[in-house]
Order: sequence, then C-alpha cells, then structure tokens
Amino acid sequence: MFLNHFEYFAPKTSRETLELVSRLGNKAKILAGGTDLMVLMKAKAISPEYLIDINGVEEFKGIVCEEGKGAVIGANTKLAEIQFSEELKAKYPALAYAAGEVGSSQVRHMASLGGNTCNASPAADTPIPLVALGTKVVINSLSGERELLLEDFIQNVRKTNLAEGEMLTNFILPEPVPQSACRYTYMGRRDAMEIDIVNMAVNIELETDGETIKNVKLVMGSVYPRPLVSKEVPPLLIGQKLSEALIEKAAEAAQGEAKPIDDIRASAEYRREIVKVLARRLLKETYDAAKGV
Amino acid sequence: MADKDLKTKWNLTPGGWNLEGVPAYQDEKRFTQVGRSVPRVDGPVKVKGEAVYTGDMILPGMVYGKIKRSTYAHAIIKKIDYSKALELPGVLAVITGEEAPNKWGIVPQAANETVLAIGKVRFYGEGVAAVAAVDEETAEAALELIEVEYEPLPVLLDPFESMARAGEVLIHEDSPKNILHEGEQVYGDIDKAFAECEYVLEREFHTNYPQHGFLEPQTALASYDPQSGQMHLWASTQIPHYLHRQLSIVLEIPMNKIRVTLPAIGGGFGGKGEASIAEFVASLLSRKIGRPVSVTFERNEVFFTNKGRHPCHMKVKMGLDKEGYIKAIDFDNTLDKGAYSGWGMVVLFYTASMLHLPYEVPNVRFRGRSVYTNKPSTGAMRGLGGVQPRWALECIMDELAEVMGISPYELKMKNAIESSHTCINNMFVPHSEYKKCLETAVEKSGFLEKHGKLPFGKGIGIAGGYYISGTAYTLYQNYKPHTSVMIRVDTEAGVTLMCAAADIGQGCNTVMAQMVAEELGVHYEDVHVQSGDTEIGAFDLGSFASRLTYASGAAIKMACVEINQKIKETAAGMLGVRADQLVLKNREVYSMYETKKRIPWEKVVEAYTSINGSLVGLGNFSPPRRKGIDIVTGNRVQGANIGHSPTFGFSAQVHEVEVDVETGRIYVKKVTEAGDCGTPVNPMSVDGQVEGSIMFNLGACLYEDQKLDANGKHLNPNFHDYKTPTTMEMPEMDTNIVESYDHTAPFGVKETGEGAVQPTFPAITNAIYDAIGVRFYNLPITPEMVLKALKEKKAVEASSK
Ligand SMILES: Cc1cc2nc3c(=O)[nH]c(=O)nc-3n(C[C@H](O)[C@H](O)[C@H](O)COP(=O)(O)OP(=O)(O)OC[C@H]3O[C@@H](n4cnc5c(N)ncnc54)[C@H](O)[C@@H]3O)c2cc1C
Repeated sequence: MFLNHFEYFAPKTSRETLELVSRLGNKAKILAGGTDLMVLMKAKAISPEYLIDINGVEEFKGIVCEEGKGAVIGANTKLAEIQFSEELKAKYPALAYAAGEVGSSQVRHMASLGGNTCNASPAADTPIPLVALGTKVVINSLSGERELLLEDFIQNVRKTNLAEGEMLTNFILPEPVPQSACRYTYMGRRDAMEIDIVNMAVNIELETDGETIKNVKLVMGSVYPRPLVSKEVPPLLIGQKLSEALIEKAAEAAQGEAKPIDDIRASAEYRREIVKVLARRLLKETYDAAKGV
Repeated sequence: MADKDLKTKWNLTPGGWNLEGVPAYQDEKRFTQVGRSVPRVDGPVKVKGEAVYTGDMILPGMVYGKIKRSTYAHAIIKKIDYSKALELPGVLAVITGEEAPNKWGIVPQAANETVLAIGKVRFYGEGVAAVAAVDEETAEAALELIEVEYEPLPVLLDPFESMARAGEVLIHEDSPKNILHEGEQVYGDIDKAFAECEYVLEREFHTNYPQHGFLEPQTALASYDPQSGQMHLWASTQIPHYLHRQLSIVLEIPMNKIRVTLPAIGGGFGGKGEASIAEFVASLLSRKIGRPVSVTFERNEVFFTNKGRHPCHMKVKMGLDKEGYIKAIDFDNTLDKGAYSGWGMVVLFYTASMLHLPYEVPNVRFRGRSVYTNKPSTGAMRGLGGVQPRWALECIMDELAEVMGISPYELKMKNAIESSHTCINNMFVPHSEYKKCLETAVEKSGFLEKHGKLPFGKGIGIAGGYYISGTAYTLYQNYKPHTSVMIRVDTEAGVTLMCAAADIGQGCNTVMAQMVAEELGVHYEDVHVQSGDTEIGAFDLGSFASRLTYASGAAIKMACVEINQKIKETAAGMLGVRADQLVLKNREVYSMYETKKRIPWEKVVEAYTSINGSLVGLGNFSPPRRKGIDIVTGNRVQGANIGHSPTFGFSAQVHEVEVDVETGRIYVKKVTEAGDCGTPVNPMSVDGQVEGSIMFNLGACLYEDQKLDANGKHLNPNFHDYKTPTTMEMPEMDTNIVESYDHTAPFGVKETGEGAVQPTFPAITNAIYDAIGVRFYNLPITPEMVLKALKEKKAVEASSK
C-alpha cells in the first residue's frame, strides 16, 4: 500500500502549471483532490514519476454563474462547492444533485469536477449531467487553448482526448434555454459511497406550446465505456407530446442501446433492466419539470 | 472467605446478593448507579481522537512486520526462497511456517492451524512467510522478493462438492471426509410426533458469507526481552486469555512469561474472538530479532483471514398439532467451515441448541456437519450459531401461520416459553419476558392492523429470538471460575477495579464501573477501571457469548461483599449503630432505621485505611453447570451442553419494508424492537447495542457477501466492493426495553449485544413476503433476486389464468 517515489511540484499559477505539464509530459500526473489518483497509486496500477499538485492555483478554482451567460466552472472546483452552490442549484439542478451524490461528504470536499471527468470512469456521476447539458471543456497547453464538447472528450475507460502537455482548465455550461429542464438519476445498492450500477441524465426542451418536445438528450452512464448519448430516443420523441406509450418506447430504445457488462456490482441483464426503469422515470420527471409542473 | 460464611453473616445468596421479599429500604432493585444512562468512560478520548489503539503505539527501536500471502487457494508449497529478501537493506529477519510448527486453534481438540503454512496452503491469502524490516515500505518490498513455488491442487469452494470429492482431494490429511466434525442429537421421537401433526412444512435455507466489518484491522505489537525471556504483546483482541494461552503453545513460553495488554479496540463482533496471525507473527519476529515488532493488517488481509459467519445449508422440517403447538423439529445443517477449524465444532452445536428456544419443542432431531473448503475460515460472528437457524425457523413459522390461517404473532405467543423453563436438552431458562417482547413490538408497531393489509410493495414482518448470557464451559477442559476481579479501595486511588475483561467498544468498562459503584455505594465517576491486561487484571475468559455484564457483575458483587463488610464494621463503630443495619448509597453510609446517623463513605475509607492500609476485595464467577442430556430419557447427548447459559436475553422485532418493484431495491423503513435484557445497566448503551445489532444484520440480510472466483480468489476484499449499509440505509428505529428482572442474576442483568441480531433476518424476509408475496430462501436478498422472483411470479400467475 505504499506509493512509488515521485517528485512533487506545487505550482502557484496556471503558467507555471502549464510549463510543468509541458516539460514533464506523460511521466507526470496532475494531483487535484487525489481521490482517484491516490487509490490507483496505492494499488500500484500507476506509478507516475512526478506529481503536479494544482491545489495552490487559484485560477483553476471557482464558479462563475451569470444571468443569461451560462456558467464557467474551474476544473479544480470541489464537488462539495458545486453541490451547495445556490446559483448552480437554481440553474443546473441536475449537476448540483449529481455532485452531491458522489461518495461521501469527506470525498466531496476533496474531489474536483475536473478529476471526475479526467479520471474517465464509466460509472462517474458528474460527466453524465454535464454531457446532457451540452458542456464544453477548455483544454490548455503552453501553445494555447482549445474547446471541445465533453462527450467528445471522454473517449474510453480511463482515456480522454488530452494530448501530452495538455490539461483541463474549465467547464463551460451553456445557458439553459427557456422551457427546458435537465434531471439526473442513478441506481445503486445503497444511497452513499456507491459506484452506480446505472446512471442517467435527460435534458428536454419544449416548443412554445409548453408540451411538444423540441429537443431531447438522454445520456447513460455505467453501461458503456464512456457516457452514452442515446441516438434513438430523440427521433422517437422530437415533435411529440410525451405519453405513457412514448415513454415506454423511448425507454426500450435506450435499453437496446446500452451495452453493459457483468461485474461484481451487477449483472449486465440487471443493468439493462434498470436502464429501462430509470429512463421511464427520468423522462417523465424531466418532461414535467420542463412543463413547469 | 467461604460462601457459607457470607450467607450466615450477611444473608446473601452464594453469588453474593440479597434475597427477594424485603422491605423497600432493603430492596435490591432500588439502584442509583445501575440503570442510569451515563456517558461511556472511554467516550471523550475516542471523540477527540485521543484514544490510543495498538497501531498508534511506537516503542523505541520498533520495527515492522509484514506477511507474504498465498496466491493459490489450495496448493503444495514446493519451495520458498527468501534469500533475496534477506539481502535487501533494512530487512532484519524472515520467518516461514517451520519456525513455529505448533498448531493453534481456540478449540484445542481440533486445533489445526499453524502461524504460517507448512507444506501446503489451504486458502487464498494464507500466510506463507513473514518479514521484519526497519519500515513498512522496506517490509513490503521484501515480500516481493520472496519466491514461492506452488503445485496447485483442486480448489474446493462448496461444502457439498468438498464432501463428494473427498476421495480424490483432501484439505486436511487427518479429516478423511473433508469434514471437521459431524454430529447428531435426537430428543424424543420425531417420527411419531410428525405422524401426529396436523401441519408439517419442510424447507431449505441457504445463508451467505458475510464478515464483521470492524473498523480497526487486526493489529499487534510484540516486545520480547531476551534478557528476562519476557514477552509483552499489545493486541486488538476480544480474548486476551485465549490469546495468551495459544501464544504460550505456539511460542513454547510459559504463560507467566507472557503478558497481553489491550489498548483501545476498534470493534470485534467475534472476528477478534480468535487469535490472529498478526499476533503470532509479531511475537515470533520480536523474539527472533530482539526488538519490538508491529504488525497491522491491511483491509484485504482482514478479508483474507476472515473468521466471519458460517454459510449454512439447512433443511428444516417443523410440525404443529391442530391447535398450533410445535410438536417436532427436524433440522439438518451443513456448515461451510472454510480452511481451518477455529470455533467450528462449537458453532456446529450452537446451531443445534438454538432449536430449543424461545419456543417449547418436545421432539427434536439435529443432524449437522461442519465441512472444510478452500475458503478463508469462518468463525465467530455476532450471534454465533444462532442467526442462521433463527432465520430458518422464524421464516418457516411465518409460513406455517399462513397455512393455519392465523397471525404469526399468535403462533409465536402460543409457543413462547416462560420463566423457569427447562428445555428437552436440559437447557434451563431461569427467566423470560419473551412474550412481553412480542406484545410490545406488536402493539407499538401496529403489526396486527397492518400485516396482510398493506398495498403491494409495502410489507411488515415479525420475528423473535434469544441469545445466551455467557457460556457454561471453557473451551479447554477446566472448571475454574470464568471471571475473577479485584477491587482496591483507598484514599490514594479511590476505587479501582482490576480485571482482564476486554472492552472492545461494547462498553463493558462503563457498565462495570456502574456495577462497582452501585455495590459499594459510590458514584460511577468514582470508579477507575483497569481492564484488558493479563498481568494487572485478574483472570477473565474474554468478550464473547455476551457474557461480560453477567459474569463481571457476579464477580464484582462477590468482591464487594468483603469490602462492604469492613466499611460497615468501621462505620458502625464511628456511628454507634449495628453494622448489619447500615446502607451504603450515594457516597454515604447510614443506618436504614435511624437515617440521621450517617457519615460520608470517604471518611469511613479514611478511617479504615489509616489503621489497616488499602482495602482489597476479590470476587469470582463460575457459571452453573448442567449435564447435556435428554431430560426424558436421562441419556447423555453429544454436544448438548453447548448452548447452556446462566440466563438468556430475548428480542422481538417488527420490520416494515418498501420494495421498489421495478428496480428490486428493498428499503427497510421502520423497525420496532422490544428486548428483554434484564436490568439495563446503562439504557443508552442498550439502545446503542440494539440499533447496532439491527444494522449489523440488516447489512448481512440485504447487502453483505464475500465473493470468490472459481480459484478461490477474493473479488471484493475491500469496503468499496464489499457493501455494508451506511447511515443512509438506517431505518427509523423504535427500540424498547421491556420491564424485566432476573432474580438469579447479579443486578438482574442479561445480555443485549447478540439477542437483538437474531430476529433481523427473518423479520425482514417475512416483511418482504408481506410486501410482494415472494418468500426467499437465500441470502443476501438482492435487488436482482427480487426482480427475478417477481418476473417468475408474474409468469406463474399468467399461466394459471
Ligand atoms: C471513497 C470514494 C468514493 C467515491 N465515490 C464516487 C462516486 O460516487 N461517484 C463518482 O463519480 N466518483 C466517485 N469517486 C471517485 C472520485 O472521487 C471522483 O472521480 C473525483 O471527482 C475525482 O476528483 P479528484 O479531484 O480527486 O481527482 P484526482 O484523483 O486528483 O485525479 C483524477 C485523475 O484526473 C487527472 N486530473 C485531475 N485534474 C486534472 C486536470 N485539471 N487536467 C488534467 N487531468 C486532471 C489526474 O491526473 C488523475 O489521473 C469516489 C472515490 C472514493 C475514494
């Protein structure tokens, strides 16, 4: 249970950090909350030669949430801060709720939003609502900055689009459109310290009539190597008013797309069953929220 | 002092307490210290994080030990080469099994474990070598350098397969059927009884493989002094004495050269009710290098070495007559022992004794066998031997009540035993308020109004249970007192209790302080407790079998007789009244007739000690001894004395559940419990024990299960994947202590730490049936099982339409 020997850096500015990231490349790991990194290092699954602790860099922290301008969340913002942010709770309840369901209180006070995404675990909580919300990530390196949709950023189990010398700095959340709602839900064996068996977010936008679905995005976690954005649900629901029959159809479509595996937590068969149940419940909940009921 | 003298002088029972039928001013039940909800004596330091656990201790020159573990569940060890490890700078010693070949095991007749494997490994994670090094990191690196060559053997993970393939593969050479022990107990004539029964049901039940989940992993610190040959071991154990005894056997050092000390302990629940390899390894390494050695298990090592609850495969047949009286039980139990014997034989026969209570059963047949498998050994776990049969019996009674068309409550009340009950196996129950438990739980929960009447998905279930308050026998042949205590009173230290009881977090130090204070007439805050040390404290058998409150209570009573007599005689002279008319209460000594004649207790102590020096009282306790016989025929029955106890605690529980019929998740929403724990010495502690008990088995019923792959390797040896319930899963609890006083017990006490785990499995299982109409016969009951069962039920209903 001992960590390998490594050299430790604690930069104070984003510039210093990027220089280190650039210079040390793949031999280094960024240390945010360490709630994933330390576990992997103790298990000797990875043994980085350098750790770059970004907790001293103020620029990577914080929530900027302005009326009509979406939100920008620094990569090293703690999940507890997101969970308790009044602004985020009002504008992005799905994200605040998902952040509050991660691990335990102790974990949430250490864990960062960026770490949750960069760790690229298929069961992670926050990437699912973030993808449903159309979030973009900001990626920086010494040579500049680029933006990418989060759903394109997470590529596979523990694999992201980050190139050597790059790091994640910000999440950009678009302003929710009127008559829309996004909700998150998950299923586990217990209600805390749980790695989800299945999790899911749904974002629904309604036409001005307040009933017809204009846009829908359904995202599933724990059933695919990365967040799975349903392709089949939107064509079934767009232009429709949600009915029990449609809910059933859409839930079945999502179930058909899910490609879960058997593991110690649940069987694939059970997971598929749960996809359908969660989809049914969450579509209804989100639709009602979008309608304002 | 002989018992006879005590009786004539103070009119006390042999145990040293007053008789009933006395006026109020002499009423033994008018307690001031016992029955008070007082904060735990160990509370403040634990809350502040200042309690010192074994792993917190650092001794000068101390080094660290680590254990190399087998990567096979069953294999011949061909060769161990540790030369490279020895060459690593900082490594001080390496040991292997041959260094300590004497077998250990808490039941000496069956002891078959060595400290480190010799010649063969029998479970995945078994220790094969150990290293001492200057720091943990070096020790861990050294383990990597030890090369072990194995020749794999077939791995037997299922007890039935193990028995079937015994001709081909043996786990222990001296157990030709792969069976540790098998036994049969027959009382009465069950065939005749079943033939006369109106209602007979037969079912099979299978329990799971949970572990205790204590927070502090096994930890030991040994310091051997080569000069004097004295070994001092600090250890996280429940059983300082049995550990002491086994250390002596393994180390070949006399017990009087070994001292076992218990620092603060982070829970045990039975898992530290056997010696741990950590203790032996630390001691052996310390002796080898002459420096203190500390060994702390990682969490996965706690899982590897296990000693959790036995999976039981039970066939149960129960018969009732027309009126619903239980006439016969036929019970067949196959226990999964894992690799080594440990508590095995005792657990086997406990599952037999549990058939005889809390209901009257005139005809009983038990057949059972404890079978070796290549799994980490099972052992003692809260409610040892009771939880599995209780689940089966209370569930089958639920079914029988349904068949009869009566409430399960009615069926239980009809059959429940009462005080002064002798079971057919000669087990004697001096006192029982079990019926009151059932009544209270039913009344407070509204069970009768809800059972069978809640909407689909919601359900309510009831079950009862009991447990022993100590055992009647030591595990090795000896009839010495099970507990001895020493109480010292003087002006320097006040009141000090010295004993070797193990406070493992259950709170016995607090309860003992209350009992000493009560008996001496002082306040519990006045009492210092020195416990958990085999050198400072007098003899104690250990913390298991829910024995401490009763046993320590009796010994404390006896020790106080001598002290109180001297205090009273001294005070009598000072006050000018008769000694036998004096009362000791609230730090005062006064005449029960002329209450103005009073004097502070402390003044009397001062007067006594200034003439005679410190006051010391010794007390001990031996449980009553009864034969294990069939009381009708008088014939001896094998193992029938296992399960005898001075008295018994009872509990009834009503659980209300909600089942999410789409996801299969089960939510226990409310538990109403009523318990008979005799006099609650510290009611707040009783509530804690009961709530803890319910959560403990709620976990094992719905969540917890150790999983192994086909090669016997653990799939979930950590708290990440081995799921226990969290506070989020804790239901609303209404725990009630029913009015109860056992006149044969010191202060009227009984157990409370293990009785309340007994009804939890069946109450939940029965509630699930009430909610969704499905009976489960396998544990844990998982969401996947619920969904599958509901699907099957739907299919059956559809086809029958
Ligand atoms: C007990 C426990 C319970 C948990 N429960 C949950 C749960 O319920 N749900 C859940 O989703 N997760 C859970 N986790 C996982 C973990 O807490 C989260 O994934 C967390 O958000 C990780 O954030 P961190 O800041 O600790 O990341 P770290 O461990 O510091 O980093 C994780 C990875 O991301 C990289 N990284 C971090 N920040 C950046 C950046 N800005 N740019 C590039 N790379 C970066 C690191 O180098 C590392 O590889 C749990 C963990 C524990 C220990």
